[in-house]
Amino acid sequence: MTATPLSARRWRGVPVALAALVACVVAVQFVPAQGYYLNILMQAATYGIAVIGIVVVLGYCGQITLAQAAFFGIGAYGVALGTVDFGLNFFVALAIGVLLSGLLGLLLGVASLRLGGHYLAMVTISFQQILTLVLTNWISLTHGPDGVPGVPRAAIFGISFAGGEAYLGLCLVVLVLITLYSWRLKSSRLGRAMQAVRDNELAASTSGIDIFRTKVLAFGISAILGGIGGGLFAGGFSYISPDQFSFPESIVLLTMALLGGVQSPIGALFGTTLLIILPEWLRFLRQVYLAVYGAAVILIMVFLPDGIWGWATQRLRRTPPAPPEVAPLPLLSVKGEATDEPVLEIRGLAKHFGGLRALDGVDLTVRRGTVHALIGPNGSGKSTFINVVTGLYRPTAGRVSFLGQDITYAAPYVRNRLGLARTFQNIRVFRGMTVLDNVVVGAERPGNDIAEDPEAVTERALAALEFVGLRGDAYRMVGTLSYGHQRYVEIARALASSPACVLLDEPAAGLNMTEKQELGVLLRRLKGHGLTILVIDHDMNLVEQVADHITVLNFGRRIADGDPRSVLDSPDVIAAYLGQPQEKQGSHEAA
Amino acid sequence: MALTRRAALAASAVTVFAIGRARAADTLKIGQVAPLTGPAAESGRYQVNGAKQAADAINAKGGVLGQQIELVVEDDQTTNPGAVLAFSRLVNRGDCAAYIGSIRSTQVHAMAPDVLKAAKVMMFGGTDPTLTQMGNPWMFRCRPNDSYSAKVIAEFGVKSLEKKKWAIVHSTDAFGTNGMKALVDSLDKAGIKPELVQGYANQAPDFTPVVLAVKQSGAEVIGSYFTFETDLAVFARQAKQLGVTIPWIGSPSIVATPALNLGGATLYGTYGVADFNADSSPTAKAFAEKYYELFKVRADNFPSWTYDATNILARGITGAGGTDPEKMRKAIIAIKGFNGAEGEYNFDEHGDGLHGYNIVRNEKGTIIFDRRIDFPA
Amino acid sequence: MDIALQLLFTGLGIGSIYALVALGFVLLIRAASVVNFAQGEFSMLGAYLMVIFFTGFGLSYFLAMILSVVLMAAFGVIFAGVVYWPLRHRGQLPVIISTIGASILLANLVLVLYGPSPQVLPGVFDAPGIQVGPVFMDSQYLTIIVSAAVLVGLQYLVFEKTLLGKKLQATSQDKEMASLLGIPVATMVLITFAYSSALGGLAGILVAPILFVSVGMGALIALKAFAANIIGGFGSIPGAILGGLALGVVETFGASYISVPYKDAFAFLTLLIFLMLRPQGLFGERIAEKA
Repeated sequence: MTATPLSARRWRGVPVALAALVACVVAVQFVPAQGYYLNILMQAATYGIAVIGIVVVLGYCGQITLAQAAFFGIGAYGVALGTVDFGLNFFVALAIGVLLSGLLGLLLGVASLRLGGHYLAMVTISFQQILTLVLTNWISLTHGPDGVPGVPRAAIFGISFAGGEAYLGLCLVVLVLITLYSWRLKSSRLGRAMQAVRDNELAASTSGIDIFRTKVLAFGISAILGGIGGGLFAGGFSYISPDQFSFPESIVLLTMALLGGVQSPIGALFGTTLLIILPEWLRFLRQVYLAVYGAAVILIMVFLPDGIWGWATQRLRRTPPAPPEVAPLPLLSVKGEATDEPVLEIRGLAKHFGGLRALDGVDLTVRRGTVHALIGPNGSGKSTFINVVTGLYRPTAGRVSFLGQDITYAAPYVRNRLGLARTFQNIRVFRGMTVLDNVVVGAERPGNDIAEDPEAVTERALAALEFVGLRGDAYRMVGTLSYGHQRYVEIARALASSPACVLLDEPAAGLNMTEKQELGVLLRRLKGHGLTILVIDHDMNLVEQVADHITVLNFGRRIADGDPRSVLDSPDVIAAYLGQPQEKQGSHEAA
Repeated sequence: MALTRRAALAASAVTVFAIGRARAADTLKIGQVAPLTGPAAESGRYQVNGAKQAADAINAKGGVLGQQIELVVEDDQTTNPGAVLAFSRLVNRGDCAAYIGSIRSTQVHAMAPDVLKAAKVMMFGGTDPTLTQMGNPWMFRCRPNDSYSAKVIAEFGVKSLEKKKWAIVHSTDAFGTNGMKALVDSLDKAGIKPELVQGYANQAPDFTPVVLAVKQSGAEVIGSYFTFETDLAVFARQAKQLGVTIPWIGSPSIVATPALNLGGATLYGTYGVADFNADSSPTAKAFAEKYYELFKVRADNFPSWTYDATNILARGITGAGGTDPEKMRKAIIAIKGFNGAEGEYNFDEHGDGLHGYNIVRNEKGTIIFDRRIDFPA
Repeated sequence: MDIALQLLFTGLGIGSIYALVALGFVLLIRAASVVNFAQGEFSMLGAYLMVIFFTGFGLSYFLAMILSVVLMAAFGVIFAGVVYWPLRHRGQLPVIISTIGASILLANLVLVLYGPSPQVLPGVFDAPGIQVGPVFMDSQYLTIIVSAAVLVGLQYLVFEKTLLGKKLQATSQDKEMASLLGIPVATMVLITFAYSSALGGLAGILVAPILFVSVGMGALIALKAFAANIIGGFGSIPGAILGGLALGVVETFGASYISVPYKDAFAFLTLLIFLMLRPQGLFGERIAEKA
């Protein structure tokens, strides 16, 4: 979801939700108190809530989960055991079940921290299997395979939801509220953080996002939603048994999410309803139905990765209005001067990969308001250097301090929040989001001056885009931009986070001549406003144009450090690059 | 064999559908919930066949109170929600006089609240004893429940085989656990505490730990509740390999056709409790012969109970003089001494119609009827 | 002690089953970076093909086996084309989900065609087994253990000592570079799928006498085999074997000494522990992404 006109943000979706609530309450009057239609709708509503949970963790955050049926089950058992065995009020039992579900979801999130893809799939499958075994075998607690019959419907403060319409109404109200919440989540700060993690975890971490917290929250939210769905399910069908919350059910829930469109709660509801109603309509296909199911999953992945709803909304996407004009970046009102004050100090930095010494004791100081270039032949350790400095690698030895603080072992997002921003050699933008949202991620990093004000955040992001000349493209999907422009988006993202120092890793890579010229101009402008920049690049023209200070690396060691003239003329440097001393070719006056 | 069976099943399925669609005016409709898809689909066909055999026979003699019986079948997909949905579809039609439910106890549990609300009679085949202790007046059971299978196993093992040291091997699912509890209970009444009670999780590829436990326990006889025939066959093979040769009395799966196919020689000489056996009574024999003639498949306990259920419902309607549910209910409770394929029905006030089992023996691959053990209602 | 020995043998036997299926997994991971959730269904299909040829058409045991394995290889190519090829550039997640869909499709297709009743397949040897001291060694378990060893050796030889193997490795590590070096990447990938599928089918045929041929037989084993891969080290061939054996033994001993019903839980707990503490498994490489 792209950022909409600034003022309408707070109430987005609420009018539609209210209308939906009213529609539900009215429609429910026409549903018979028991029987077929009631059961179908209850199943669709409760499953739908759980499927929205999958949308959050898989669609938004990109973490695969094959354990949603387990959380559905925890919620269901919470309600069933709470009311039947312990005589608790339905809502109290529901709260307990959901709480337990959420805690276990957080735990699963912790497991996801270092793992992804198939490892994560296995973790979630294992969790699911263990839960099924516990539900089946811990008979004294869970009643075992017999299940729990006679689960009562909700009642509170004398209002009873025991009747069919009343209970269905309750389920639908909860469903609408949850749909509203998750829909708004997508364009909230947490939602954008999740999507950034999904699209590019490394870039997200260096843009100030706490990956750990984001993933854990995603799992926690997903589990809570699963638990709510399960709890309502138990009350609705009044009998639950362990086989209803097993691994095949997790697959069913996953397929429902995929079919509709895992990016969107509405899509997920669509998929859920379709997969519950379809078998009823297609009963003559019943024999082969499950096989069709499996084939459908493959076909969806191949042809309709956004699901049916996703595909439909893509076709209907309107061109958004032009982005508004905004005040320029605050940075631009600063008149900067180069000073001697060290912003980034690196002492004795070493990084060994087994026997390979990628960095072998490097010292470097970047001073405020200067452009400091780091150059060296291929394999000299430049990218390793920037990765250690930004926290993506742990140093083997040495010290990094930023603005006087020791950040040697700090997590990447912590460094970013102190004011250290970077771009990547192989461009890392968040492909699933618009240009504007990509930059907003930078602008809303915790600790930024305007981070708590959504309108100001958007303004800041637009201002950053304006600076790099891309404001007009704000609402386009970032993947539709040219390579060079995607690089500018990265730069804008860095600038929007009000950095004290920006690290640019090969910013000129992949740019054509004109674009390199523009880049040089841009960098000099930034320098003029007092921004501190560390640039790694190969392009000597660019480096000469903009650098105040150059450090040269070779084989992980510093072989030269000083002003451009003396460094570029140094025989060691020339030997490292060209292999032998050479006569100078012409003058190297800066353009 | 496989091909003929499939053809027969296809034919019967088509016929059932045809029955379903033939909306003859004023037929008496009986709604049946059965698995037509999912893992139990094959047994579902058999269940439908049994009911159909009974319905056809009744219709050939003029029907019930002059009306023809029509079976309406809904697929429960072998799942609990599926059963609930199938049942609600039947209720939704509004024209079913009574229902035939599932052979799986968890599915019957799932449908029970809706049966109560629908306030019409349902005959079911699940054997969980608690199903007739829930105070639901509309549910009637057409197979002996598991407390009886346990009583019979215990009685046979203790009195006839004279074995005092027991090992109980059971699946940890609903069926196995309840069976185990009932067996422990029955043995307790005979003053016996089992040497070993060993549960296992369904679909295990290897039973060595279980077999070794049995061996180590010093038991003289095994009582078992296996749900899946594959597990049973693996256990049987490994028991033989590891030298466990004590007598074995098993729950009905031990004599079901799939078990015999898979287990082969490793099951020779074992005993089983079977709610249905063709040689247990003249009625059973007649039913089995006709069943084989119609469907070319050996009858087992899947069609037998639905056959009985249909007949009992017909009696209930006749006794009630109509389809008034309350009258039907009373008429069925009043049924005493009715000879069905499963045995002699004497309905008690809980809804259980049968109170005993047959003991059968696997004699080199053929199932031989040994005796019938009944308990007072 | 006798008990322990018997349990050890059985544990190794079961473990070899896991290892055999895990081998098929490893191949696809190494050569195509594909995690195939339908690997278990390959075994199931192989077993059913055997039923068709041996029980249905009455061919000789070995002829039926050869035919089945060859057909499975062909199937592997089709599988690659439908399930993997269209998604090969879209990242891990779509492929994983697609293979999950394939597993459901295959299992239910066979269910429709063959019905849910399990089928019997005889073992390679007629004798049920041999008694060695206190331990009874099931002959099919022995066959599986030996086959697993032979196949591992074969696979090692192919991967490490032949040009084809080197090409396959190159393809798995860097497709672009491999293609630039003139290695026909598409062919390599198809070969891998074909071999993995054939191997899976063979595993199914060997396992069927013990587990019986049923629609769900693959799913049971595949999950455990997958866990074995992770425990042993994802992408490592010796790891797959060791992981499988270890899992089989842990599971069997756990069942006997602690609790039979929770037997599966031991497997998954072991897996979880490895995933938390040592995700690269016993032999795998550290997981890292180039920044």
